[in-house]
Amino acid sequence: MATTSVGASDVPNPRKNDGNSRNSNNTDTAANGGPDERPVVFSVRHLWKVFGPKADRIPDDADAAGLSAQELREKTGCTAAVRDVSFDVHKGEVFVVMGLSGSGKSTLVRCLTRLIEPTSGKLEMDGEDVRAMDRGALRELRRRRAAMVFQHFGLLPHRSVVDNVAYGLEIQGMGKAKRREKAAEMVDKVGLAGLEKRRPGQLSGGQQQRVGLARALAVDPEVLLFDEPFSALDPLIRRDMQEEVVRLHREEGRTMVFITHDLAEALRVGDRIALMRDGRIVQLGTPEEIVGSPADDYVRDFVRDVPREQVLTVRRAMRPAEDGEDGDGPALAPDTLISDAIETVARTGGPVRVVDGTRCLGIVDHACLLNVVARLQGPQHDEHGEVAA
Amino acid sequence: MSTAAPTTTPGALGSADRLGPAAALLRRRGLAKLLLLAVAAAVLVPLVQAKWSGAAWPGALTVDVSGPLGKTSDWIINNRDSHWLFVYFLGHLSNAVVISVRAVYLLLLALGWTGVTAGLTLLAWRVAGLRIAATALVSFLVSGLLGMWIPTMQTLALMVVAVAASVAVGALLGLAAGLSDRLFRILRPVLDTMQVLPAFAYLLPVVLVFGIGVPAALLATVVYAAPPMARLTALGLRGADAGVLEAASSLGATGRQRLLTARLPLARKELLLGVNQTIMMALSMVVIASMIGAAGLGDRVYQALASVDVGSALAAAIPIVLLAIVMDRTTAAAGERLGANTGATGPTWLRGWPAWAGIAVLTAAFALAGRLAGSAVWPSGATVAIARPVNDFKEWMVGHLYSGVPVVGGTADWAAHFTNWVLNPLRNGLTALPWYGVLLVVAALAWLIGTWRTALTAVLAMAAIGVLGVWNPSMDTLSQVLAALVVTLALGFGIGILAAGSKRFEALLRPVLDVMQTMPQFVYLIPVVALFAVGRAPAVAAAVVYALPAVIRITTQGLRQVDPAAMESARSLGATRWQTLRQVQLPLARPALLLAVNQGVVLVLAVVIIGGLVGGGALGYDVVTGLSTGNLALGLVSGVAIVCLGLMLDRVTQPTERRTTGKGA
Repeated sequence: MATTSVGASDVPNPRKNDGNSRNSNNTDTAANGGPDERPVVFSVRHLWKVFGPKADRIPDDADAAGLSAQELREKTGCTAAVRDVSFDVHKGEVFVVMGLSGSGKSTLVRCLTRLIEPTSGKLEMDGEDVRAMDRGALRELRRRRAAMVFQHFGLLPHRSVVDNVAYGLEIQGMGKAKRREKAAEMVDKVGLAGLEKRRPGQLSGGQQQRVGLARALAVDPEVLLFDEPFSALDPLIRRDMQEEVVRLHREEGRTMVFITHDLAEALRVGDRIALMRDGRIVQLGTPEEIVGSPADDYVRDFVRDVPREQVLTVRRAMRPAEDGEDGDGPALAPDTLISDAIETVARTGGPVRVVDGTRCLGIVDHACLLNVVARLQGPQHDEHGEVAA
Repeated sequence: MSTAAPTTTPGALGSADRLGPAAALLRRRGLAKLLLLAVAAAVLVPLVQAKWSGAAWPGALTVDVSGPLGKTSDWIINNRDSHWLFVYFLGHLSNAVVISVRAVYLLLLALGWTGVTAGLTLLAWRVAGLRIAATALVSFLVSGLLGMWIPTMQTLALMVVAVAASVAVGALLGLAAGLSDRLFRILRPVLDTMQVLPAFAYLLPVVLVFGIGVPAALLATVVYAAPPMARLTALGLRGADAGVLEAASSLGATGRQRLLTARLPLARKELLLGVNQTIMMALSMVVIASMIGAAGLGDRVYQALASVDVGSALAAAIPIVLLAIVMDRTTAAAGERLGANTGATGPTWLRGWPAWAGIAVLTAAFALAGRLAGSAVWPSGATVAIARPVNDFKEWMVGHLYSGVPVVGGTADWAAHFTNWVLNPLRNGLTALPWYGVLLVVAALAWLIGTWRTALTAVLAMAAIGVLGVWNPSMDTLSQVLAALVVTLALGFGIGILAAGSKRFEALLRPVLDVMQTMPQFVYLIPVVALFAVGRAPAVAAAVVYALPAVIRITTQGLRQVDPAAMESARSLGATRWQTLRQVQLPLARPALLLAVNQGVVLVLAVVIIGGLVGGGALGYDVVTGLSTGNLALGLVSGVAIVCLGLMLDRVTQPTERRTTGKGA
């Protein structure tokens, strides 16, 4: 089931859902069931990036396609950082690209704005062919439509915080008073009020990355690109920053492409996750799909240590209702997290119904929930998480 | 070769041992190189010996260049007023130099001593803080008190123009090399080589073209002082944080925007360091260029040294040293302030243009006040003549310290002993050594330490000296360099190891080294002349004192930067301090020690050559004679020999950089 096709979210993301229920600003509710009908921001088809001599021959070479990264390097002297990657990023979603170091994820995100020139493939933004753009058009794209946040911040050490935040606006050619005013607003927004006059060297790592974030936000881009933004930070600060990103997304609903090597981070912020290995996408899906139905042994290995009860929903745990069980008693929504369901089941002491509207989808009890946590596949449970009633 | 080494461990290891000593020899890179050289020597030496016997460079292999050089010189002198090259290019250049130096000099005079002192003190305060401003104030007052106000202003005027031109030329070259890979590859070896050449080598070519005078002095200074600026600009631009540059690109910056808002500001520390180094090199050269027509403090020192008038030389040298310290500290402090990444401090009226305007207004006020009080030039009554007492003191030293001091002997005795027992045997040995022997030793050393390329350059440079017919004076200079180098390294490594071991000692040493490293080469000649009179020994002594600070610095830093984990593990195994030093610190600091040797050689050579002014003889003396007698051919040939010697010494001691990148043996 794991393909690189335009992924439809069969299973709602708990985090996302949580956000919608709290904030009605976000009108993109298509995530709840059915194929994603939101407009496509980035459309990537068969994208390749090959480094090395005669790199442009590799993508069309039928023999090369079958080789592993190691074999390709030995045979041609080339390194394929991105190999035949296709995906769509929809408006308003957080699209996470995850993989270990060297998997090509950082190269991939740089290809999106051609900071690294792709070798071949199709790349569209809002239906415009990015690869066909001339330098001026590309500059406009980078100035106003896509802004990036970097792992090592990339701040100008000789400028104050507010001037760093205003840097993107300065490049656009905005006047000094106006860009300072806008930058001050952004500094407030990321929680750095009062530090405007400091230099980056006087800030902690977390604060520096807030400056990086504010700089990206200041140009009011359509898409935010994050390249492992929090990898260089301490774990506690990383957590703070992840929550900051989730909060920003909830408030503004901006499209984000988020690169990370940290699975927990990917699960925390992502609506959909593309898992990369050796330049290819090995699985693309919601966090629940990745954790609940790994595409292959590599992905299974990857997600082994994830606390499943915090990612999976009762949809995956329930069994068909037996006679008399679909009557009364406590009920749970189908997208309740297992961890929450455990609490309810423990409190009631018996089976609990899973109800979508008025329809009873199935039943969860101690055994079902434990099966999920213990990674045992219950006999009642089929591939799609639906239960034959 | 047939007797194989007895195998102590038979079995699996036996096969490796059975390869025999020849293969084992080949596996050691150094031995293999020596073996190859020995074979080449065995074939070539008998052939060469049969054809040209004798130790000195064979006359048949020299080319007399004095004729053509003399003709060139004559042609230039005859055509200076008519040929288009002079009329339309070099003439304008020389006029522009004269006019601008004159303009700056007149401006300084117009400001008067009150205006100049106030202006430069305020400038130092603005850029570098209160303490350095105080140093500047004291320095200018001392220059005036010593009766050196006018020469100081002459030197300052030359410096202003020379530094401005050097920084402009250097920055432009550096910008080009920083942005273009190809230009960088071309320029880098040129700049590296220019930095190792002694200042004297630059004097003759400019005199050949411009004649003796201010333009020649200024252009020699620019050629000497621009390379560090170019080098550091290029390195700074290339070293700019790639992440920041990428961030600028990701925001849609154009190439120009990226350069102006990110790349240049990121390199600002290197740029300021370049300005600092350029200023120090320019000062050093402006002083030396007094020999080719630069007026000012250097000229006073030069005249005084010519008549061994130590008192007058000292009176002119003190302002030079003070000027050097003020300029160095001011630019260094400005660099540190930038590096600290703090915002500007102090109230707002002290920042930005109000501060600069304030400085200008105050300077004008002080200048006006000086005018009204009728003392534009330093008041002639307010000077202290130190020449007489210093000379009296020197006479006393000559009487009491030069010789016959019980037990230790006198300083002149030391100099004589050093000359008789070290310099003479060394010189005689080098001249007696067959010339191909010298070439072989140079080749072996350079190849062992570096690569075949450096060895080839070194041998070719050495052969060029022979071809030019200045083999014997070059061997004389070489003997002085070697003697000075051995003393410098012995002292430098010793003091460096002590300083690395003791924080307190290093703290005591640091200010001394700081001052010593900022003084121009020329100044070192004065105390050694006072102590040891004239001759080759004082030249060597000056070279040792000049090169010592750098060697100590590099040694201390190298030892300090040894991985503390390696030291700790040695100590945890129970190594004594001596064992740690010998087995861990020194081997791990090897690159730094080699660098110290390289720097030591370059610096020693520079001063040994200048020692020609105080009786050092050899190549340096030939340059001086060539200049003073108008025999440009002699001076030029010696200059080229100096270049070759410098090139050879640098290449012989240049450690290889290949091993880190190669795949290994």
